[in-house]
Amino acid sequence: MMHSAIVVLLAIGAGVLNWWLEGPVWILMICIGVPLLYTYLFVYLFPKLQWLRWRYEVREQEIELQHGLFVVKRTLVPMVRVQHVDTEQGPILRKYDLASITISTAATNHTIPALITSEADELRSRISTLARVAEDDV
Amino acid sequence: MSNERHKLHPISAVINFIKGLKDLIFPFVIIFVANGFQGSSGDSIWSFVPYVIGIIVLSLVLVSGIIKWKRFVYWFEDDELRIEYGLFVKKKRYIPIERIQSLNYTEGILHRPFKLVKVTIETAGSGASKEAEAELTAITKEAAGYIETELAKAKKRKQNKTVELVDAVWGEEKVESEEAIPGTTIFKMSMKDIIVLATTSGGIGVILSGLAVFISQFSELIPYERIYNEVVVFLKFGFFIVGISIFAVLVVAWIASVILTTLNYYEFTIVQEDDQIILTRGLLEKKKVTIPLSRVQGIRIVENPLRQLFGYCTVIVESAGGSIGDKDQKIRLFPLVKKNEIKQPLQKLFADLDIAPDWTSSPKRAKPFYYRLDFIWMIPVVGSICYFFYPYGLLSLLIIPIIAVLGLWQHRSAAIAITGNQLALRNRGFSKSTFFIEKKRMQSFMVKQSPFQKRKALASIETTIKSGALGASAKVEHMDAKDIDELMTWYEPSGDAVIEKGQPQ
Repeated sequence: MMHSAIVVLLAIGAGVLNWWLEGPVWILMICIGVPLLYTYLFVYLFPKLQWLRWRYEVREQEIELQHGLFVVKRTLVPMVRVQHVDTEQGPILRKYDLASITISTAATNHTIPALITSEADELRSRISTLARVAEDDV
Repeated sequence: MSNERHKLHPISAVINFIKGLKDLIFPFVIIFVANGFQGSSGDSIWSFVPYVIGIIVLSLVLVSGIIKWKRFVYWFEDDELRIEYGLFVKKKRYIPIERIQSLNYTEGILHRPFKLVKVTIETAGSGASKEAEAELTAITKEAAGYIETELAKAKKRKQNKTVELVDAVWGEEKVESEEAIPGTTIFKMSMKDIIVLATTSGGIGVILSGLAVFISQFSELIPYERIYNEVVVFLKFGFFIVGISIFAVLVVAWIASVILTTLNYYEFTIVQEDDQIILTRGLLEKKKVTIPLSRVQGIRIVENPLRQLFGYCTVIVESAGGSIGDKDQKIRLFPLVKKNEIKQPLQKLFADLDIAPDWTSSPKRAKPFYYRLDFIWMIPVVGSICYFFYPYGLLSLLIIPIIAVLGLWQHRSAAIAITGNQLALRNRGFSKSTFFIEKKRMQSFMVKQSPFQKRKALASIETTIKSGALGASAKVEHMDAKDIDELMTWYEPSGDAVIEKGQPQ
């Protein structure tokens, strides 16, 4: 969102400059085309695909997260390592009754974005009980 | 137990003052230089304002230094180290003795003549704040010894309690061997090693970047336009002179770094005492750092190409805790050592460590991945340099084979190995580094795969361990996906049912 706003601003600047210096028309076309395409890709298409690709799996002893559009990232967090779990809800997320969960270990943070609030709360308490039960067997 | 309250040595007032001055030096220099550049515009009262402010600030710093010393007391009570300080906001800090993980000593130039030390007390939790848990700016060595015996006494009391419990169960077998085991020296750096370390260290880079920062601080004050004309004349002398002067600067920086490193690492010694590693070093400023073995999260062996050539390497210990911005969290256990000599001392310190595991290297088909991406940014850069600086610019073509060779080299270094509960990772950016991590120290584990990697059945891995207050991560790129899967199952706690599965809404 922010990115595309910047791109749009840049394009407007370039377009105005072009119009002012009476440059060729095709530059103007680019100035209109590029931000439109960029906004479409980064505001609509990529987030949608990213959302389609997001998976999480909570097992008794570990949490597995998988996400990423081009580069697929699979993260494994053992329950024993989980220190605490947070849910977070900003004004926009609240409007749609969503919340994100952040799982913290001693050294890292892992966020699952935008779950339905009740589900997120349930997941949070479940992870925290599992984390309490999990024993260090190594 | 004596509840006598102790004070710091008066010299700590001076140290506080100097510390305060150090923080003020940049604003001061800037104010005065900027003022000087404006020229003397008459004798109005206003021209004295900066000086008056300066003097007021100085005396404030001095007074606050003295007050800090006056108000600071520490004592032992109820198995706690209690510290109180502050004038307006009184702060009391009580640290239970069994929570104290290590005492670190520093002897600065000001400490030496009075036989004083600075003691930093570290606990496991000191990560969150920017400072160590507690700092005694200057106390006599006797007082430091007193603290240490007090700690030992308290620990022993705790132990005796548990021993008594054990005794009740097991009969007469008494543990009495704990009486001060003399530490065994694990490692000592010879003068020759220190010189080699100093001459091959990357300290040059630090000094150069420091210089750059320094210059950038002053960039607004330097009359660039005046200099510019001179530079144009200077440039006419040709690239040769520029090269020479750059070289001269580099040499000076290098010599400075050699001297600094020698001073810092003078008489570097590692001693093992019970379950602690004790590290002492320094000529002008003596430092003594204690690392409990249980806090060690991982071991890293770094070989930069120059040192690798002569078979030298650096062994670094990643330890948890410590404070943010504290350089001691990545402790160089052996700053410079022959690689074929590290096995024995490391084995002595870490019994479970296997430093020569069976390496699984990155497969042959991964080779192009190591230099392919670099070409993407390189081609336009090299192309434009060749175009704009025609005759000399062609030299930039040399970078292509260099990058390719470096890529191949990186490929050859990339490897993973599993032995029991230990994961070993090896990679190379420019220097080769080898990580040894225990499974229980890995906080998380991530596999990354791009579509290109997928086509060739490759994947990259990254694992994070706790280091200092934050994490440190170790990566290996472009490994065989099959080996990675094996690694994944090794890391996964044994199979169990999926409890919750899903996807964000």
